[in-house]
Amino acid sequence: MSRSLFLSLLTYALLLAGIVTLQGEFIALALPLVSYLLIGYLQAPERIALEATRQLSIERAVPNQDVELTVTVTNAGSSIEEILINDLIPPGLNVRDKASRHLVRLASGESYTFAYTVSGPRGGYVFNGLDVQVNDHLAVRRFKVRVEAKGRLFVLPPVMRLRHIAIRPRRTRVYAGSIPARAGGTGTEFFGVREYQPGDPPHSINWRASARSVEALYSNEYQQERVADVGIVVDGRLRTNEFARGHSLFDHSVQAAASIADALLNQGNRVGLLLYSTYLGWTLPGYGRIQRERILQALANARTGDSQVFSDLEHIPTRLFPPESQIIFVSPLIDDDFKPLVQLRAQGYDVLVISPNPVKFELSYLGTSNPNVNLAGRVMHMERVLLLQKLQRANIQVLDWDVREPFDLLVKRSLSHAPAWLRAIRR
Amino acid sequence: MTTIALILSILLGNLSLAVGYRQGGAAGYSIWFLLLGALWLFTHFRKWYWFSSIALLVMIVAAAYGVWLGYPTVWMVLGAVGGLLGWDLSDFARRLGYAAPMDDTRTMERRHLERVGIVAALGLGLALLSIFLRFERLAFEVAVGLLILAVLGLTRLVIGLRK
Repeated sequence: MSRSLFLSLLTYALLLAGIVTLQGEFIALALPLVSYLLIGYLQAPERIALEATRQLSIERAVPNQDVELTVTVTNAGSSIEEILINDLIPPGLNVRDKASRHLVRLASGESYTFAYTVSGPRGGYVFNGLDVQVNDHLAVRRFKVRVEAKGRLFVLPPVMRLRHIAIRPRRTRVYAGSIPARAGGTGTEFFGVREYQPGDPPHSINWRASARSVEALYSNEYQQERVADVGIVVDGRLRTNEFARGHSLFDHSVQAAASIADALLNQGNRVGLLLYSTYLGWTLPGYGRIQRERILQALANARTGDSQVFSDLEHIPTRLFPPESQIIFVSPLIDDDFKPLVQLRAQGYDVLVISPNPVKFELSYLGTSNPNVNLAGRVMHMERVLLLQKLQRANIQVLDWDVREPFDLLVKRSLSHAPAWLRAIRR
Repeated sequence: MTTIALILSILLGNLSLAVGYRQGGAAGYSIWFLLLGALWLFTHFRKWYWFSSIALLVMIVAAAYGVWLGYPTVWMVLGAVGGLLGWDLSDFARRLGYAAPMDDTRTMERRHLERVGIVAALGLGLALLSIFLRFERLAFEVAVGLLILAVLGLTRLVIGLRK
């Protein structure tokens, strides 16, 4: 019940009592309440016109990085005796320093500026505005208004700088890049020997091969290097990512996907992203920095989810990926994933699986003191090794990632096939 | 500052009612008003601010009952004014709880206490004036007519101000 209604009811009750009993003293009792109500109403602000602006110290942050928000509220209406400003913080962000709620007095034309610091986990956060409560002197009348002050903050997943990722999809695009195109032409890596053709530079003549033949000269042919289409699929299914006590491998998967996407885009490839969880989150393939930003924003908003439709990998929409392109699948993997992955391979895609190791992850916080846990861990480890071996036999490259190890070290060890020019220098 | 004023208001209201009832010959009730005051303070410090509305209701009803029984009206009016002040300051203290440490709450407190003091003084003055200023007895029909007119006028004024 509002304060004014409460006081009004009391006042009317006293007046009614005065009428019924014909005693003027009841009216006397009601007079302080009437004075309170009338003065409250008379002093209520005539016109409420508030404007607000918001500034963020940075709009792209890494998880748990401090971001300072500065909010300025300007009163373009009549003077307000009491104004309670509550900046609406998107769920997930925490106030680290100072306060997002203030109680102030704002004269007409006056501004009030406050700043506070927030931080939060990976995600995309939208600031819509401020909840403002305007009171008269006695708070008899209260006005609740929403003042718009837009702002966006992206807490992006951390990106590890990966030097070079050696992938070899069957089909490449026409533009020059760093991925061997399985075709002869200009390049740096030896591809084969063919008969000399007019126009071949003299230094490309293979004198050793030419010496064996009296009829023709032979030239060395080098492998063309081009850019490729890469589709990164991030597995966000709840049942593969979530473990006991709220532990999740999903953030590791997201970090791996972000680092891989960054490295591949830096190499000039066309990269797309598919989030496979409650729904299919598809980021159209593209090149360059803008695409990097799109992918990082999509990964910032990625969440695990449970869906009956996407509970297994049968519904990966392969038509999104160009034929014979490279697919990088980031998932902790379960036994049921074997068949769909082999089907992808059978359709001509080059499949690389980056799999954060769920067994080691779970054992790392369960501890090894319990013999039952140890035994279960060993059984699960064997099952996983078996699954990975089966995938490798199906010509699917698998990176088994113990998440306690930095991801860049794993990539350096397993995927960093240095480009030919670098290897030539090293020789 | 607000807390001190709140304590004084609660004391003023409940002591006035206690004294009024005592003077009226119902000394047994006085202790209940002191207990009510203590309970109100206890709930306030526990931040159970909703209790202030119940306390005000109880005090207004008690003051009205005292008036009906013919106890000294001045004490009853003082009880009602004390209850009103306590109710206002309790809600003000709740609102101050939303302020950030860097907000200038002292100035707000001072201004609020000034204004609510003026309102209380005005209400009390009018009430006392109405008690001591008496006209000759009016006919029953005229009195009822005037009161209905007052209620309607007040309602119309409140609706008008709300717009």
